[in-house]
Amino acid sequence: MAHIKVTRRSMRPEEWTALRFGWLKRYIIEDKYEINTLEIRDARQVSEMKYEYYSDEYRPLKRGDMYFTPDGTAFIRGTVTVPESLKGKELWFTLKTAAEIIVKVNGKYVGGVDPNRDRILLSGYIDSDELHFEMQGYNRSKPDDERNPESLSVRGCRQIFEGAYLASVNHDVLDLVYDFEVLLDIAGSELFNEDYRAFLNKNLNIAMNFIDFDSGEKLTGVKQAKEYIENVIYANTDYKGNGSVALVAHSHLDLAYYWRRIHTVQKNLRTVLIQLRLMDRYPQFKYTHTQAYTYETLEKYYPDVFRELKQKIKDGRFEPVGAMYVEPDCNIPCAESLIRQCLYGQNYFKEKFGIKVNNCWLPDVFGNSWILPQILKKSGVDYFVSNKMSTWNDTNRFPHNNFIWRGIDGSEVYACVPPTHFITWNMPSQIQENWEAYQDKNTGGQTMSMFGYGDGGSGVTEEMLEMMKRFDKISVMPKTEHMGGKEFLEKNLKNNKELKKWDGELYLEMHRGTFTTKSVLKQFNRRLEYKLREAEIISVLRAAVGIRYPKEVLTQCYKKLLINQFHDIIPGSHINPVYKDAVEDYEWIDKQLELILNADTSENYFNSLNFKRNCLTFIENEKGKNIRHGKNGFWCVPNLPALGCGKLSDATTDKSDWIKTGETVETPYYSIKFAKDASMLSLYDKQLKREWVSGEFNKLKIYADNPGVYDAWDILPNYKEKELGFDIVTPLKLLGKNSEVCEFTATVKIGESTWQRIIRLFKNSRAIEVENIVDWREKHKLVKAEYDCNVLTREAVCDTSAGFIKRETHSNTSWQQARFEVCHHKWCDLAETDGGVALINEGKYGVSFDENKMALSLLRATERPDTQSDMGRHDFCYMILPHSGSFVDAGINKTAFEYNIPIVKSDVSCSNNFDGLFLQAMKMSENGDMVVVRLSEQDGKRGELTFPKPVKILNMLEEVTGESDKISYKPFEIITIGI
Amino acid sequence: MEKYIENIIRPKIQGDGGEVNFSSFDGEELTLIFRGECSKCLILDRCVKWIEEEIKKDMNLNVKITAVRKKPFFWDN
Repeated sequence: MAHIKVTRRSMRPEEWTALRFGWLKRYIIEDKYEINTLEIRDARQVSEMKYEYYSDEYRPLKRGDMYFTPDGTAFIRGTVTVPESLKGKELWFTLKTAAEIIVKVNGKYVGGVDPNRDRILLSGYIDSDELHFEMQGYNRSKPDDERNPESLSVRGCRQIFEGAYLASVNHDVLDLVYDFEVLLDIAGSELFNEDYRAFLNKNLNIAMNFIDFDSGEKLTGVKQAKEYIENVIYANTDYKGNGSVALVAHSHLDLAYYWRRIHTVQKNLRTVLIQLRLMDRYPQFKYTHTQAYTYETLEKYYPDVFRELKQKIKDGRFEPVGAMYVEPDCNIPCAESLIRQCLYGQNYFKEKFGIKVNNCWLPDVFGNSWILPQILKKSGVDYFVSNKMSTWNDTNRFPHNNFIWRGIDGSEVYACVPPTHFITWNMPSQIQENWEAYQDKNTGGQTMSMFGYGDGGSGVTEEMLEMMKRFDKISVMPKTEHMGGKEFLEKNLKNNKELKKWDGELYLEMHRGTFTTKSVLKQFNRRLEYKLREAEIISVLRAAVGIRYPKEVLTQCYKKLLINQFHDIIPGSHINPVYKDAVEDYEWIDKQLELILNADTSENYFNSLNFKRNCLTFIENEKGKNIRHGKNGFWCVPNLPALGCGKLSDATTDKSDWIKTGETVETPYYSIKFAKDASMLSLYDKQLKREWVSGEFNKLKIYADNPGVYDAWDILPNYKEKELGFDIVTPLKLLGKNSEVCEFTATVKIGESTWQRIIRLFKNSRAIEVENIVDWREKHKLVKAEYDCNVLTREAVCDTSAGFIKRETHSNTSWQQARFEVCHHKWCDLAETDGGVALINEGKYGVSFDENKMALSLLRATERPDTQSDMGRHDFCYMILPHSGSFVDAGINKTAFEYNIPIVKSDVSCSNNFDGLFLQAMKMSENGDMVVVRLSEQDGKRGELTFPKPVKILNMLEEVTGESDKISYKPFEIITIGI
Repeated sequence: MEKYIENIIRPKIQGDGGEVNFSSFDGEELTLIFRGECSKCLILDRCVKWIEEEIKKDMNLNVKITAVRKKPFFWDN
């Protein structure tokens, strides 16, 4: 017998309640008066605070008119007299809009409206019946507002103006609306007790029955409904909830994403303003806000609001959280960049507000490097907050929420990975979900639930605060407490001996494509990180002979670099104009640094590394006969002393008898058999007497890369399922040879793209360099360079920029399986105890390991958020370096530094070479009192540094913590000293 | 027309997460391809009308735009 599903077609009681709830909301506005005098001027923002206008004049703006344009800003103004009907009443302004609008009345910032709120209280901010409105609006297709279903219906570039009004509010109705809202959420959530939900459905229906919706404009029964809810629902304690949840107000603000950084100035203003106005009305309300950069822009462009904000910070209600300058990606930036994030962030907070922020607040960051705890700890930061690992991991449930995070050097910080998303609207069901997902119930104290709309700012709404006022009256809810970020961390984590410990990187099992997407940005970032290092070191050494240290320019350059390390910029997850802004910034930084470096007309070359430079290096020189990255130059072994300078000359001749070309290519180090596509069939090491190739080696592998909606962000675990081929256009051929280098080239066609590879073999180096010159025109393809090595090992070693991390190459458990693509910095290595193969790159961060294979991720071709992502020309190099012994014995890290740090002309030198550690930075201190030297142990060793006279021992904020002429260091320690 | 679309209209559309490319123009009918966020925009017709108005304003031409949506595979259902 066929089963017939019985579907109820008539209205259920709870549907009847919900329907009437919608009717009830119509009565919130008691009286309203349309503002008919508004005018609008359409514009487009072209830089911070600069606009191009579509017309010279304002045009009238009436209800039903179209307003806003693609990428548009609109200026709206108008004057209105408060009508008699509203005089003496609490006065509101209402405007339902998809845009983000900042509202000024009679010269005062009164608040903001956006898709999450449509009312602003005017009473208390105005002192006249004549009201002059000035509004600035910015409209966006906001993809993430799908979280707020109400805003979904109003998305799009061109909007219909729904009218602006002066209004009064019926607080009895509004109060009742909030009661229904909080209780209906519980009634509709399966997270709560079924019997209680039945109790709610029954009694909410009864409460609603008191209201007579046919009673005309003035509703009757509102007070009775309210009394019923108080006396029957709130008074009921038969049903018990459990748990303890801290409610922390926050608004996530992406500096750039589906909008440019220039727009964030106003997004931030609107967000801050809204919170300040809520604070005026809700004395208990506290709010947390990150990123020193956003405070900087507010101070610069909106000093009045900044002054108000400063007072609220003083009052302890507006709380700067997150010690960093911006919320950076924490995979790709190097250690020094992360240190500068803290330095510039903390310095700003100290200078402007007199505070040191003791937490790092990165809710949306795509995983966190193992090097962070030490950097945080030495930057005055004891607490770390980041949400993604709990809510976004695609394979394993991260086992902790409140815990201790142990870093690469053994430094420990208290960490909070809240169990749920950083954007919630403070509904009971979201709070209950947080408690149920919380894994440290017995050890971690309260769990943190962040609330407030975000991504593009916006923050807390009146509704969220009104919900919170009611939570204590609802017996099934966890106990809730509204508190600040610092307050939560110190109350629950500080000195908590019960906390579990996580020792290792905080790998996010998602967004693995962000190590590779937008290759050009990654390449710029790497190059400029080291160019800044070079410029600072040379400038300090020049300052020693009386040349002015260019502090302002260097700081500007650093800050621009740090801004572009924001977690939706450097990872590549943004629209095309953001990419263009980033490239423009990088070119600006490059130019400024060139001006600094070129101030020296010396013919000498300077080695900024604190060890002798003895790896074969390409020296750019117009007369050089070799070409690399499109520039002429020559190859030589510099033999420059540590932090010393000297002359380099081009000794290249045409003599090339060191290499034999043919079916097998013979170099002093290798016998190589190439395939036509430039992959290697055999790489026999003559010195070590072993074969390095076990399968496909230096082979381009093209995979269908279809991760779905999170296109720019993700590479899926099954990406290898569909491998795509390529056609050989130009089979491997000899390009040229001389006394130093022999070049072969091959070109393949991948779809519509051409990919040329130049293989460089050297007389004086075991390294084999691969330059890739690509015209990239694909969609949804991932290209890797794969190396199937004749090496038996179960772990790969990867550079973190401040030490190495070992990762298993097998997939025994789900934890290893999930790490099928990982982030590394300058190099990775697969080795046995007596030798292995290293890959050294100059700006590639994604890599995968599978038993004895390693595959460097080279290019992707994603469509969302940027349809043009990675299209066009690319030119990047990497190096294959087979070696004897371990990666430490073989000096792979030093070689990688030499590969990434070009030699520049300068006639400076330094007598102290800080032997044993890597000179990570040398700069003038922020206060100009001393030279700051940052040294990093990267090989996992202990040792001692001695100085001819005592030096100041500093933390990373350049505060003096001691003085000594002898410093002991431990594995992976970063030491900062002042001289 | 192609240059106008590429240089004047396209940057604005890109600024909103969308993408527009010129396809053809026969003097009256202009065919544009919309990608990115535009490809699934519920109110693209309003934007198309705005482009027609901008062309009238800047180039003094009356054109009728045919909008072709090209959705990425993950929205093509």
